[in-house]
Amino acid sequence: MTAETIIELSGVEKRFGTLTAVRDLDLELVKGEFFSLLGPSGCGKTTALRMIAGFQEPSSGTIRIDGEDVSTVPANRRPTNMVFQSYAIFPHLDVGDNVGFGLHRSGLSRKERRARVSEALELVELGGYERRRANQLSGGQQQRVALARALVMRPKVLLLDEPLSALDKNLREAMQLELRRLQQSIGITFVMVTHDQYEAMTMSDRIGVMFNGQLEQVDTPQTLYASPGTRSVANFIGGMNFLPARLHNEGGGTLDMEIAGFGAMAVGRNPNVADHGRNALVGIRPEQLEIAAHRPEGYDSTVQCRVADIAFYGESIHYFVEVDGVPETMTVAVPNYFHSVDFTRGATAWLGVQAASVIDLGRNRDNETQQGEKT
Amino acid sequence: MKRLRRLLPGLGTYAALYLAFLYLPVLLLPLFSFSEGTIVAFPIKGFTLDWYAQLGEADTLLHSLANSVIVGGSTAVLSTVLGLFAARAYVRHRFFGREISEGIVMLPLVIPGIIVASSMLVLFLFLGLRPSLPAVILGHTFLTVPFAVSILKSAFDEFDPALEEAAYDLGETTIGVFRRVTMPIIGPGIVSSLLVTFTVSFDEFVLAFFLSGNRPTLPVYIWSQIRFPAKLPNTLALGSLLLAFSVLLLLTAEYFRRRAATGQGARKESRDDR
Repeated sequence: MTAETIIELSGVEKRFGTLTAVRDLDLELVKGEFFSLLGPSGCGKTTALRMIAGFQEPSSGTIRIDGEDVSTVPANRRPTNMVFQSYAIFPHLDVGDNVGFGLHRSGLSRKERRARVSEALELVELGGYERRRANQLSGGQQQRVALARALVMRPKVLLLDEPLSALDKNLREAMQLELRRLQQSIGITFVMVTHDQYEAMTMSDRIGVMFNGQLEQVDTPQTLYASPGTRSVANFIGGMNFLPARLHNEGGGTLDMEIAGFGAMAVGRNPNVADHGRNALVGIRPEQLEIAAHRPEGYDSTVQCRVADIAFYGESIHYFVEVDGVPETMTVAVPNYFHSVDFTRGATAWLGVQAASVIDLGRNRDNETQQGEKT
Repeated sequence: MKRLRRLLPGLGTYAALYLAFLYLPVLLLPLFSFSEGTIVAFPIKGFTLDWYAQLGEADTLLHSLANSVIVGGSTAVLSTVLGLFAARAYVRHRFFGREISEGIVMLPLVIPGIIVASSMLVLFLFLGLRPSLPAVILGHTFLTVPFAVSILKSAFDEFDPALEEAAYDLGETTIGVFRRVTMPIIGPGIVSSLLVTFTVSFDEFVLAFFLSGNRPTLPVYIWSQIRFPAKLPNTLALGSLLLAFSVLLLLTAEYFRRRAATGQGARKESRDDR
């Protein structure tokens, strides 16, 4: 596969007065991929998207689209189109005129324009809706009109700003799959901004995780989940139990560690972690812990625990457990196989974990500052 | 609310009397304008349309009417344009001094007219602008900008800024965005602002009296006629026509204002009763 770059951001910064909204952003997007910018609100992801769209000019750095430097090109002359969070359907126009809005200046004949509009509406499964008024549409239909209106322009890149956040849960999940299918069938590069980790994971080829204006990690959803490079990424994507550890020996592909509560284990080195130190941090996903009434067999480490609290989610049960030597309460997620909740609050149980499930998160910065304060 | 009503049983009667006191005198105006007698007193003698018919022959009246239309029209356009910029800035942007500036813009609503009028006269004379229709237009623009700003603010309040961005993103130019998106959506608000500011200017007396010089506007003309008892019935007829015209304009303006505030009229019908 020859990966052709469609968007290239290098050293992009955006400052508002003294506030730096986006800091030193380097990013290369490949033609035809579904890319998400994920992060908490205020992390700069929307600003980054608006700079790609051309609504905001970067304070420094360059933005290239399809090889062309567009850093100072305004939004109306960029080969990008956007689907807005509020959909921004023109209330005074019907569906057909909404979708055909941008073709006005295309030099196409009326007949060609009409054909393009109906083709775009077919694409989003709203064929024949041309004469509907904007106020007769449901939220999901407005979303589709906004999509058709952007896609009819045949942009090189489609930008989506929290496109599903205004929909209710069931519709949102259906639209996630549909958007993904649509993107794959037309092959246009999609860049989506979202704060919803599940949305980002189910839809994207790659995700860029942003915190405080900084892009912390860009990877496939699976890699982000299995090998997060920093504590904040590990914490933002999925649940995670953090455990302090001591690094005894780092050699080759494995790290010999003494993990709080769980004892000595050989943990695989995480290639995304920048630096290691004697004070280390590891993570264990809640669903990768086994909980049992008796000491489970065949695990690399087993430890006794006390059930402090229980949360029933329907498809799974979360046990919040305390383990001697582990500073924070740990979460164990168990699939609901038999419609039974096996442990009660205050019960003692056993935890089992495989070394392969323990994620190396590098140097433990919390621990260092704590020790620094003590001395 | 219920408890308040039990506490003060006369509240409804009071409200009715209050409204009657406020509006009944206004209704006497058209009533006496159809009376044959030249003295405004009961009982009314006979019915006639003569007073109305005579209006058409009064040249100075027609001239002052033309003056008022010129002043009202220019004022409406000027204050609506200024209001458009101000309202958009107040609703869309957060800038230093926004609240203070909004307060200052609204100030003409509470300053006594006579103060404004006399100080404007002094200022205009100082600047070398003699009392004239342009002077009245400037004065009225000052007076009507608050009306324009508050009407247009309610139009912009309901206007999603993403609509303009979406149009721009779809390749429109800045002017094209205004013409194809902003104008149609806040258009009703603009019409409403034009009508209201026109009406306010059309009915305004004090400023016009000070600033109009030898070309009176209609209210100034009416005032000059009141001194002649024989002309009183004509004045009543003219006043009645003005009253009907103003009410009509304001009702139309309100219709458009609501359409602007609800974006499409039909979309949020329920909000119309705000």
